[in-house]
Amino acid sequence: MGNRLLSILFASAALAATAGLAEAKTVIHVMHQGDPGWVKAYGDVAKRFEAANPDIDIELIYAPHDAYNEKFSAAVMAKQLPDVMELDAPFLANYVWSGYLQAVKPLLDQDLLDDMTDSNISQGTYPIDKELYAIGLTDSSVVLYGNRKYLEAIGARIPKSVDDAWTREEFEGYLEKLSKLEGVKWPIDTFRGYGIKTEWITYAYGPLLESAGCDLIDRTTWTAGGTLDGEACVKALTMMQTWVKNGWVVPTSSGTNQFYAEGQPAALAMGGHWFYAEAAAAMKDDIVVMPLPKIGEKGVSPNGTWIWGISATSENPEAAGKFLSFMLKDRDYRDYARSQSAYPGLKSFAAESPLYAEGGPLAIAFEQASKTAVARPPHPAYPTITSAFMQAVDKIFNGGDPQEALTSAARKIDEDIEDNAGYPPFDAQQ
Amino acid sequence: MTLQQTTMPRPRAGRRDRQRFWQEVAMIAPAVLLLATFLITPFLLSFWTAMTNQPLVPRPTPVRFVGLLNFQRVFSDPLFWTSLWNVTRFTIWVLPVQCGLAFLTALLLHQKLPMRNLLRGMFFLPAITSMVVVCVIWGTLFQYPSGPLNQIVGFLSGGTIQPIDWLGDPDWAMFSIVLLSAWQAYGFQMIIYLAGLQGIPEELYDAARIDGASALRRFWHVTMPGLRPTHVFVLVITTIQAFKLYTQVAILTQGGPRESTETVVHYMVRAGFEEQKLGYASAVSVILFVIVLLIALLQRKLLRRFDV
Repeated sequence: MGNRLLSILFASAALAATAGLAEAKTVIHVMHQGDPGWVKAYGDVAKRFEAANPDIDIELIYAPHDAYNEKFSAAVMAKQLPDVMELDAPFLANYVWSGYLQAVKPLLDQDLLDDMTDSNISQGTYPIDKELYAIGLTDSSVVLYGNRKYLEAIGARIPKSVDDAWTREEFEGYLEKLSKLEGVKWPIDTFRGYGIKTEWITYAYGPLLESAGCDLIDRTTWTAGGTLDGEACVKALTMMQTWVKNGWVVPTSSGTNQFYAEGQPAALAMGGHWFYAEAAAAMKDDIVVMPLPKIGEKGVSPNGTWIWGISATSENPEAAGKFLSFMLKDRDYRDYARSQSAYPGLKSFAAESPLYAEGGPLAIAFEQASKTAVARPPHPAYPTITSAFMQAVDKIFNGGDPQEALTSAARKIDEDIEDNAGYPPFDAQQ
Repeated sequence: MTLQQTTMPRPRAGRRDRQRFWQEVAMIAPAVLLLATFLITPFLLSFWTAMTNQPLVPRPTPVRFVGLLNFQRVFSDPLFWTSLWNVTRFTIWVLPVQCGLAFLTALLLHQKLPMRNLLRGMFFLPAITSMVVVCVIWGTLFQYPSGPLNQIVGFLSGGTIQPIDWLGDPDWAMFSIVLLSAWQAYGFQMIIYLAGLQGIPEELYDAARIDGASALRRFWHVTMPGLRPTHVFVLVITTIQAFKLYTQVAILTQGGPRESTETVVHYMVRAGFEEQKLGYASAVSVILFVIVLLIALLQRKLLRRFDV
């Protein structure tokens, strides 16, 4: 880490120096987040791009994941928005509404645009003008991982496709049985260890609510009152609270590896597609990948990930688009993404990813994208929606009253919308 | 520290005095300028911001003057009251633990021990360690169910006490933060106490010894009265610091579980940076300022009364 950090610093210093020397060169600033491996991958892509385009310099700006949005706000206030930036898909509506991003369709290669999956298009599209504002190589999903030994011991039915996902009765029945099984300390890990600030709660638990027939906010009237604190949501969160109360869920302070840790204390794990790589390495053939359970009538799964946009203030949008097109087609970049069990957001990348192909271990995750994926609410109030919801869930999981917690979250969201005069034109969308 | 020393004879008007006056102005000018720029102006600005719906970053909707709406909302949000109660709870717990620890170690290190300076350095070590680092280390110690702290508890109790979910149990989380905060910060108060102890003239102890006072009596009748101003200072400064509790919470619990560690500053940062409501956050900061000011004044007044 230290070495990489140094080399990044060194590289950016060197870039800055050469940028000063060669006035004629176009400089493209690229802001991104990511683990050290990804940071290195971006750096390598930038070098290859510069070699192929000697008239353009790429300057990478790294901002840590946890404080990315704060750093982004700081860049906006300083009027120093980068040309290209990575952004978390559910925040797209907020950024476009605020005027930070420009439509990318005219700036990207046509074959890339044709290559996008439906879910990828929807995560980059702003609902007001239906324009595409961002693109990614990847997308994401959450599945239910199971430990084969335990599931066989209780005689659980293992779903073969998204259509025969466990129902609520089956799911809760298995949790109950697993809780009594020798060797199982917790029936399920829902990754509470990710904390209550990382977007995980809204991303992964939201679909369970939607499956139960409620939502974070009414997506036509854009009010949370009556929806988020409605009966369906209260019931769904009371159900999840009961799982916690029964001691079925790995607690927050036990970390995020109880599924494959020594002794394998957790029997199931409701985890992101990225969890597969580490869990499979530790558990080999004992890992089973299943669709998320159906709580109500329909199954629902999450989507959306960190994608790339071009800022409205960019002076060289064509060069920025050129870089994005180059990166998304770059062979080594794709190879690295595949080594991280990245979830394909481009059809050609899906074809290169045996993990997600027909019969592959994560095929079910890919199947979910076309059958059950629902994006998080594409509304400019999203920063408040997610913050309020995560607080409410934390309160409920720790024994708070679901109705009370959800009512106060709904009030907070509606207050924010009111403060911004309904975020026009979203107020007229109904 | 005492007022008597600063009373000077009334100056006579004259050229020299005027010259001296301007010299004084010139000398305090940099400090006043810096304070005005970085403390007073932002403070007045936050008063103004608190009465608008100012967002963190520019938005297409206009910024409006909203009067006292933000204050009304803060006061009607149960979470604000919870966070206020939490910092009060934190202060009540951390004051005796942290100041007591500081006082005891100061007494110990004031003795003529071998390698006294080395020991003083060691006891001061946590205070110069970054709070962020301390939090990461203690986060590991607190791990549930098999972190080092739980193993110690289990060992000492012979396995009769079940592992405690230090940071994940609403009943324990704030207490755990009190423990680590007191441990990290007591060094500062210890240094102040040490200075206070060194300020008590040795002759007073000698006189007490000649009068036949025991060690305990010397402590009660010489050390304690001699430390009175130090106690006042330490209590006030620790209270103010305690009310600003943020780092530990932001790193370890993010205000959870079940709002049991939500503090006023954390609440404010969340409103201002995550939800981007700068006006609302400013209202919280103004309220916090008033509360801390009132407490400091009250404490001063109360402790004065006990003073001889």
